[in-house]
Amino acid sequence: MMRPLLAAAWCIAACSGSDGSYDYADSKGAPLYQQMCQVCHGETGEGGLGPALRDETKSQSDLASIISSSMPQYAPGQCTGDCATEIAEFIAHGLTTRALRCDAVTPAPRRLRLLTRREYRATVRDLFGAATPVMQCQRASDCTYRDTCSVGSCEPTACDAQTFVFDPQGQTHTTVHVAGDFNNWAATIAAGGLALAYSPDSGLWVGTFSIGQGTHQYKLVLDEQTWVADPRAPASAPDGFGGQNSVAALSCAGPQPVGDPAAGFPVEARPSTFPFDTDADLALVTSTSVDAYLAAAEQIAAFVAADPSTLAQCDWTGSRATCAQSLLGDLGQRAFRRPLASDELGRYTSLVSGAPDAATGVQTAIEALLMSPSFLYRSELGVSDGNGHYKLTPYEIATALSYTFVGSTPSSDLLAAAAGGELDDETGIEKWARTLLMDPRARDQVSEFAAQWTGAENVLTVDKRSDLFPDFDDSARTALYDETRAFAASAVFDGTGQYTELMTANYTVLDGVSAAFYGVTGTGKVPYGDGKRAGVLGHASVLAATAHSDQTSPVVRGLLVRRNFLCEDLPPPPPTGGGLPPVDPSATTQQRFMMHSASPACSSCHTYIDQIGFGLERFDPAGRWRDSENGMAIDPNGNMNDVERLGTSTSAPFTSEPQLAQTIATSEAGPACFVRQYLRFSRGLAETLAERCDREWVAARWGGDVRELMVQSVLSPAFVERR
Amino acid sequence: MISRRRLLQLGGAAAITWPLRRGARLLRANNSPGTAKRFIVFYFPDGIVGQSQGGDPSLWPPTGSETAFTLSDSLSPLAPYQNQCVFFSGLSMGSTDSGSHPGGAKKLLTAADEGNGLSIDQHLAQTVGAADPFPSLYLGAQVNGDNPSADMYISYIAPGSSTPPQDDPVAAFQRVFGGMGTTGGGSGSSSGSGSADAARRLSILDNAKAEIQALESKLGTTEKTKLDLHLQAVRQVETQIQALGSGGMGGATCSSPSIDATGIDSSTLYAPEMFPQVLKAQTDLMVQAMACGLTRVGVIQCAHHTSNLIMSRFANTPLYTPNFDMRSHQASHYGATHDPTNIQYADYVLQVKWWVEQYAYLLSQLAARPEGDGTMLDNSLVFLCTEICDGNTHLHDDMPFVLAGGGGGTIRTGRYVDYGYHRHGDLFIAIANAMGDPITSFGDASSGALPNLLA
Repeated sequence: MMRPLLAAAWCIAACSGSDGSYDYADSKGAPLYQQMCQVCHGETGEGGLGPALRDETKSQSDLASIISSSMPQYAPGQCTGDCATEIAEFIAHGLTTRALRCDAVTPAPRRLRLLTRREYRATVRDLFGAATPVMQCQRASDCTYRDTCSVGSCEPTACDAQTFVFDPQGQTHTTVHVAGDFNNWAATIAAGGLALAYSPDSGLWVGTFSIGQGTHQYKLVLDEQTWVADPRAPASAPDGFGGQNSVAALSCAGPQPVGDPAAGFPVEARPSTFPFDTDADLALVTSTSVDAYLAAAEQIAAFVAADPSTLAQCDWTGSRATCAQSLLGDLGQRAFRRPLASDELGRYTSLVSGAPDAATGVQTAIEALLMSPSFLYRSELGVSDGNGHYKLTPYEIATALSYTFVGSTPSSDLLAAAAGGELDDETGIEKWARTLLMDPRARDQVSEFAAQWTGAENVLTVDKRSDLFPDFDDSARTALYDETRAFAASAVFDGTGQYTELMTANYTVLDGVSAAFYGVTGTGKVPYGDGKRAGVLGHASVLAATAHSDQTSPVVRGLLVRRNFLCEDLPPPPPTGGGLPPVDPSATTQQRFMMHSASPACSSCHTYIDQIGFGLERFDPAGRWRDSENGMAIDPNGNMNDVERLGTSTSAPFTSEPQLAQTIATSEAGPACFVRQYLRFSRGLAETLAERCDREWVAARWGGDVRELMVQSVLSPAFVERR
Repeated sequence: MISRRRLLQLGGAAAITWPLRRGARLLRANNSPGTAKRFIVFYFPDGIVGQSQGGDPSLWPPTGSETAFTLSDSLSPLAPYQNQCVFFSGLSMGSTDSGSHPGGAKKLLTAADEGNGLSIDQHLAQTVGAADPFPSLYLGAQVNGDNPSADMYISYIAPGSSTPPQDDPVAAFQRVFGGMGTTGGGSGSSSGSGSADAARRLSILDNAKAEIQALESKLGTTEKTKLDLHLQAVRQVETQIQALGSGGMGGATCSSPSIDATGIDSSTLYAPEMFPQVLKAQTDLMVQAMACGLTRVGVIQCAHHTSNLIMSRFANTPLYTPNFDMRSHQASHYGATHDPTNIQYADYVLQVKWWVEQYAYLLSQLAARPEGDGTMLDNSLVFLCTEICDGNTHLHDDMPFVLAGGGGGTIRTGRYVDYGYHRHGDLFIAIANAMGDPITSFGDASSGALPNLLA
């Protein structure tokens, strides 16, 4: 796409060197070609729906005249004058076999990358630890003591109420209730014991009760017989019988815990056909963002600074400036992901010492840290190497490593490694990459990538008609979303770690809700035994997100495969061609959509789209298996034609999703696209031809292994070098 | 994952009313009652029932002469305001990528191919709106629910760079009327005085500004646009705090604002059934923000182009059909002819009229507020638009635009004007001129203010 915002200096004359090389990063024709021509002629002129343009022998002026008179074929007349001349220059010099040789990896652009909402949440969580709640949860025990787990997110319980959670560790109980000073230590539920409810999905006993402000003592009572202390309670007191009561302190005074600090932030803007929330060029700060950042900073700071001694062990009644300096030296370094310059440290320290009291001062300083560009942007600017390029500083490398692997701010250890020179060479970077890969948060990062790459995240909001799909409710949506996330992490970290396992695994990972949705027994890793589904493409999250509320769409499913799994786009449909065929109760969806093939104007593209979707018609709009539609048997025949590239005229018929997944997984285009998608996600960059050699560098080294892909991506010269 | 937070403890109360805690003390010289001019864009997706592929005539334009004309059925909801509107024929967005929804959305408010310029709302925010607490407000109804691509947003803060609207009316209400830091327990505002809070916030923003500038000076041209926009945003919030935070209810000209947020929470924000309520809340919010002098430039965006909004779920409307789903984009591709027996066509006709009704509701809210010798509508410019003409042919000619409101006496209203073929960027020059911004060009194809419009 066109990026006028980032328009760098264009080539003054031509971008080609005397040795036949070509500067794609500085070419004016390259982005125009990418915007208008690539969809038919291919990224490197390899051809597709249109003819190949590699090593073109026509003269530049002939090319320019063809372009201005008849290109792009789907909407001619858009590119005349300089536009045509620039593209002709690019075709003549940039699309040559010589120029396309990857002799060296082009450094990535110098950038500031605004934290996404995900990164902001994780960063705040990791900066301030238990002071802010875990944001995502599968079940209540994932959240901190007072929080509940509500559709995937931890939420604070009302200030005068307590959420009690008991994990039976697999034991069976008839009842579990709470007895304490608030209900006269009721020995039975009949006597007023607060009964917890057992949830088979989470395997937990849970209940939230308003027990009033104050400090309460209580115990959990199992089967109205066994009195036990609550293992989750942060405090306890002797019970007078040689055991311990649990203590819950509830107060509505003072700062309350922060919910989702990023809830009010604007959503991330995504370039067209870029399925990720990470694009750094479109991430711009508006006044809406600043308002939201300020509100979040105030909430976080008020909560964590209420007692400065919890942040820094220091005698805050003594020299406040000394305490502030030690607090801000440490916190500042972690917030900015680099040591504070002395003027910065002085400025932040004076915010503390200039305040009426220590708590207010620390609060102000923390707010200021959280509003700073050094916090809000991940710096990838580097320092000049004297040869026109830049190299990231060790702290920038630490930052990029941490956000790449664990989606959050670097740990103190990693920053110390940067300071100690450990990240100055590839060996050190690789060592740290492999260490970070062991971090549990790396699983979440893989889960997130998978949910965005496959479009599974859209299952959270996709609508289904409640009369047709009554159980497709919020809990089912969340469970199906969680399935894809859990499966991806499991395949990558517990399985072979191969891309092919993501695509073709003969199992999935379910919880109670998703198991019930599919109508299967068992939770956790559940094998498929019937050949109906395999890998992520077989997930109901993906299949439901690409279907309408009342009917499937072979077009939307087909486009998902082309765009997200094969990285191939198609030209826009002719203006009058869109829309759905009318609902017809006497036909199957496939029969209705066959009209696309009837008209040559439509079939020239739709044959590459609908044929894929037709083979997935066995999955209904909610992603569940069906044998018939409107009383008619489903025709399971699909075709993954031209899997490697449009226009290659290959045929790959299939009658099941596992066969389709196998075709993609064993193609060249499928894994190549996976590498491209991962680099888009992790680099936060809608790639141009300048990024191609970086991709090829990584693609030559990952061996189909997802963890290796992550590691190799940070060993590529493009990870540390900037242009 | 999407946010599932509970928005507000509404405690069963349907309406959110907010006492003007900081006071809307906004009677600046250039924004006093009777002279404040406002500009509001009302956008709906996927075109109108225009001239069909098969040649059936457009159902949109009025019939008759420039000053004696009859509204079409599509436009009939505007009958009460006919004399306060200008109906356009013959305005074109140009031929480049005509036929495309994204192409249309990108140049709709920028008048530039590929959205390669500021949109008119953002331009005016930087000129006539620059001193307002909110130089512009960009509110959406169900725009972001399906992670749309950036070409689905119509407001451009920099050439080539659109930004997403605020979709949540409750959060937007808190932002606009609640003052800073009142969005939840634990904010700094619970202790200490408002002015101390304002002073602290300003010192924090000062610090941020200094650091952005320091970074910029170190970087030269790299990421300059990004940091310039960031700095501009910080300055806007600074202006907002200074305007709102310096206290007092003195001179408040608007009664306690409120919106009806019944049933709107994070789990229903993107439910199609809720769309009419969300849109009404955003509309009420926009009008009240303007009535209170908090902003004078606004965009209300309904869904996005190629929308899957299920409009047949809208209860108590002619669109409502139980157990039958008809989506916006689906209906817009009604086929080659205007065939009333085709349900897509029939529903599309109803959908277009429903959008016009919602625009009429916006006008009614402006018309209900006396201001000076007339009403707020007399002082406003309210632009109705969509990104293509006919929903099936997608052409960018003869765009179905309406401009309502007198612009404080600057617009000759009550007319239907056929321009034959005229690029639409000139309309934005005229609008800017009416708003008091004397530009002479805007976007790609501008030959000066659109003729036969300004008084």
